[in-house]
Amino acid sequence: MADRGQSWPTQQDESAIIDLGDVNDRDDGSDYETDMSRGPTDGSGKGSLEEDVRKRLTDNVTQMVWNAGTQQAKRAWSLYGNIDILRPYFNVEPHEVRTRLLQSFLPRMPSSEKQRAYRELYGPLMVVFTLIALLLFQMKAAEHKVEEGTLMGTAFGVCFTYWWGTAALMWFLSYVCNAHITSIQLLSLLGYGLAGHCVVILLGTLIHTSHDHLFFYLLWAVFGGLSTLKMVGVILSRTHGKSQRLILSCTIAAIHLLFLLYLHFAYHQIVEDLSRVLDSDPVVKQPEVVNNVRTVSKDS
Amino acid sequence: MSGEFGGNDGFYSSSDSYEDEPPLLEELGINFDHITQKTLAVLNPFKAAEHDMMQDTDLAGPLVFCLAFGGSLMLCGKLQFGYIYGIGVVGCMAMYFLLNMMSLTGVSVGCVVSVLGYCLLPMVILSSSAVLLSLKGMIGIVLTVLAVVWCSFSSSKLFVSALSMENQQPLVAYPCGLVYGVFALLTVF
Repeated sequence: MADRGQSWPTQQDESAIIDLGDVNDRDDGSDYETDMSRGPTDGSGKGSLEEDVRKRLTDNVTQMVWNAGTQQAKRAWSLYGNIDILRPYFNVEPHEVRTRLLQSFLPRMPSSEKQRAYRELYGPLMVVFTLIALLLFQMKAAEHKVEEGTLMGTAFGVCFTYWWGTAALMWFLSYVCNAHITSIQLLSLLGYGLAGHCVVILLGTLIHTSHDHLFFYLLWAVFGGLSTLKMVGVILSRTHGKSQRLILSCTIAAIHLLFLLYLHFAYHQIVEDLSRVLDSDPVVKQPEVVNNVRTVSKDS
Repeated sequence: MSGEFGGNDGFYSSSDSYEDEPPLLEELGINFDHITQKTLAVLNPFKAAEHDMMQDTDLAGPLVFCLAFGGSLMLCGKLQFGYIYGIGVVGCMAMYFLLNMMSLTGVSVGCVVSVLGYCLLPMVILSSSAVLLSLKGMIGIVLTVLAVVWCSFSSSKLFVSALSMENQQPLVAYPCGLVYGVFALLTVF
């Protein structure tokens, strides 16, 4: 094929008359013998033959390397990119999901016996989607206009980043602290732990206390605390060593509880302030907003 | 082309080839009988769905329902065709992934889009009622919850009948409920 570019103008230079028999042969790029036979017409003899061989070798080697690379890539994709490897983690019954959701609020005292950590992704995924929907509901309930597309992207990003990011961090710490827990178990544990966050956000949106955060802190302590204790109990039962247990339990408790605080003060609080500002009666409400800010700053 | 107009070839004459051609709607895959059957299956969620009803995955009905949904929202003063499209795409992709993980046989994108599109009909009825009454009162909340439950029940019924997952209908209904819940947020707020 590479020779066609060289021989064609040479043929043209030699004669103005095009031989149709040669034209057909000339266009057949897959005929290497034809290409081979055109070499000597250049007039350089062995030199052009060696060049031709070298070029063909290069092409063949390039083709072989490309084929080998493509096959390896396809094999790697079929092995790791095949989402069918996640199928076993979605094989659950409705009563199992219900039981696991309720158990995520029932901590058990850590003992020498390992507490069960489920390898399941359906329930945690549904909890994360529920949290996203509740964040959207929270925004809508405040009746302020924001760009919904950006809001949905933010909700997706925040929730999935927390779920996967925290699981990745805990997996790394578990590896360092030699805890007997896998990444799927961590994803499942953290996912079910978000059920407490869903309850707090739902109740916080339906029961709207505009000036006082006491109700929120109560919910945060009860539901957030119960789900945190559950996760801590599971991890402690699977870790040996006091310092390792301390590192893992403090990390997961801090991140889990702080995330709920973040969801409230980053979304609900801003939404409340905005809706308060956009409402009528700005003169009456302004001092309360100022007092609220002062109270928040004192609390923090 | 099976024939040429005005051609004088011996094989085909223009009048025969024109009559042999299937109707335009059939060529486009629009079958009004199937559309009617599927619509009635959605409107009556307690009636058992046929297993092969959703094998014929047509998108004409869902497209009409999505446009009707957007149109009824427009009558309420909300231009949200883009959000309907965006939420629809995200919801369909999520359901496609989930159902492929949960079912033994797997499901095609067309089937998912078709089912979710047809089951949007109760939401169209809700958004049409929003033209006449406010959905933020107690009646509106009840109607909204009813519409979401109706949509998710119908869609889960069609999915489990197509994929033979009868014992997992609540697990299919819940994510459908989340998708239609977001559509309900569009309608109410």
